[in-house]
Amino acid sequence: MYFRLGWRNIWRNPRRTTVILTAIVIGVWSMIFLGALMRGIADQMIQNGIATLTGHIQIHHRDYRNDPAVENSIAEPAPMEETVAKLLPPGSHWSARIRVTATAANARHADGVTMVGIDPPREARVSFIGKAVREGRYLRDDDAFGIVIGRALADKFETGLGKKLVLMTQDTEKNIASRAFRIVGIYGAEMEATEKQYVFVTLSAAGEMLKLNRGISELSILLPDHQLVAGTLATLRGAPSLRTYDAEPWQNLLPLMRAYLEIYDTFIFLWYLVVFIAMAFGIVNTTLMAIFERIREFGLLKSLGMKPWWIIKEVLAESFFLLLIGIIVGNILSFLSVLMLMNHGIDLTRFAAGSEFAGISRVIYPSIYGRDVLLANLVVFILGLVVSLYPALKAARFKPVEALAHV
Amino acid sequence: MKTRWLWNIVVSLFMIQAGGGVIAAGAEDGRAIVQASFDYWRGKTSVASVDMTIHRPDWQRVMTMKAWTKGELDSLVVITAPAKDRGNGTLKRRQEMWTFNPKVNRVIKLPPSMMSQSWMGSDFSNNDLAKSDSLLNDYTHRIIGTESHEGKKVYVVESTPKPGAPVIWGMQKLRIREDHIFLTQEFYDEDLKPVKIMTARQIEMHGGRLFPTVWKMRKADSKDEYTQLVYRDLVFDKDLPDSLFTLSALKNSPR
Repeated sequence: MYFRLGWRNIWRNPRRTTVILTAIVIGVWSMIFLGALMRGIADQMIQNGIATLTGHIQIHHRDYRNDPAVENSIAEPAPMEETVAKLLPPGSHWSARIRVTATAANARHADGVTMVGIDPPREARVSFIGKAVREGRYLRDDDAFGIVIGRALADKFETGLGKKLVLMTQDTEKNIASRAFRIVGIYGAEMEATEKQYVFVTLSAAGEMLKLNRGISELSILLPDHQLVAGTLATLRGAPSLRTYDAEPWQNLLPLMRAYLEIYDTFIFLWYLVVFIAMAFGIVNTTLMAIFERIREFGLLKSLGMKPWWIIKEVLAESFFLLLIGIIVGNILSFLSVLMLMNHGIDLTRFAAGSEFAGISRVIYPSIYGRDVLLANLVVFILGLVVSLYPALKAARFKPVEALAHV
Repeated sequence: MKTRWLWNIVVSLFMIQAGGGVIAAGAEDGRAIVQASFDYWRGKTSVASVDMTIHRPDWQRVMTMKAWTKGELDSLVVITAPAKDRGNGTLKRRQEMWTFNPKVNRVIKLPPSMMSQSWMGSDFSNNDLAKSDSLLNDYTHRIIGTESHEGKKVYVVESTPKPGAPVIWGMQKLRIREDHIFLTQEFYDEDLKPVKIMTARQIEMHGGRLFPTVWKMRKADSKDEYTQLVYRDLVFDKDLPDSLFTLSALKNSPR
């Protein structure tokens, strides 16, 4: 009975009902859609970070993270690599690297870069560089003097394919090590900062230049699914041959990113709160107006024998329908918007410099999380009903004698 | 007629032979010339007092310094004037370089990252000084022509980096006089466009030998930005102890 009454009551004033429905629809849509966009940004940031050389897990010498110098290298990686190969879940890939800071110079420019010595075929499966080369070619195992640099660095140094680049750094004997490389490929990355920083040479070339013999700086692991990170990490840390080394997950390796993600989480939470408060006021206002218009009606109902609790239930039923319709339409609208953006995303290339600063990629794709949608709907529905209790209680408290005499 | 024709062939063959011989010898001679002029420039040891002027379109700065060199690899340079820079010094021993600043009383070993930065604010880079012997070891030299200067023959030598040599230049062109004096050194990038040029002029008698007094390093595309070194007292082959090229000597500024 309440539902029938509730439904009929809200359509007694279609204009007011439509207005409040619009408010709820917009509120729900913004919660879900903008939440999806922000999740999309966060997801891409994570993917970017992992693909840009971090991987899911990295293994280093104990002091390497404090001081990424060539002294803190893993001198004999063979036993560790064997253990890793045995312990990783199937479908994982891993790659060894030498990573040191160096100065790159040509006849007209010099700047600091990070020299990364890689094993070309394995690295291609672990990080972005395998597919990132836009001009020239990727490194080959036998490239003793080949180097692959980023487009932004090539532009800054006014250089191109086939030209020389001299890298200077310190070797394990604390002498200055320098080597002239030839640019064999130019890569493009999501962020210009990446392109300016990383230059890639072969592991053997770097090892020779730094007099490292077989030593490496780090081992980077990419798991088939990032849910496996915690479990794999525990297994690796327990292995005896890895005891002297540091195995860290990407969350620890990219603390800035972790901070960003936490900021986004808080932001989403605050956004939901603000949107809901605005909606709540709308709902309370509308329902209260509806109540006050019908004071005489409530007086009549009470005198006819309708218990106060039933009146509350009736008012809540009205709110129930308002919220239900609003939520359904809002959800449909959100899914449609996300569907529309799924292919092309929002193109921020015009603001690329600024968005890079905040770690956002150039094109944003929304990404819907079931958890978020459920949360938004539940929040709106339950809290919506809760705030409607106020007008409902007010309605239930009318004294029939005064109410019937109300103008 | 026939004899004439035969004679022409013989002469041409001879010329080609001779020409080929000259070209083949050019490379060896090139290296010898550069080595000789290098040795002449450094002597076994040298002690010099130098005024360095750094000139830019808007300003100019003058410093006086004392420089000791030994062999091809060791050198010590200490600034003596103006008062605010006095005591600053650079020590080079083999391939390593240190700078000292008396105001903070610190000796800093130059890391690779600072090598391409300018030396004491001039147009010379730390690398220019540290790897001054790289000209001998990392390049192949070829005589490409001759000119004349003050009545003496000048060899024009083209120095190309050996493949794999860690030098940033694409090519250097040197002009060396037959009495082993460096006149000009031009630095070219990989596209063979000139980047900077060093000239040495005003050749006078110093310490028993002819030596250019005024050395000027300027960028190829700007006449108004240069660094000029003017040698005052210059003594060669004096006996310099090895203890002069140590960090303690750097800190305690020998006079």
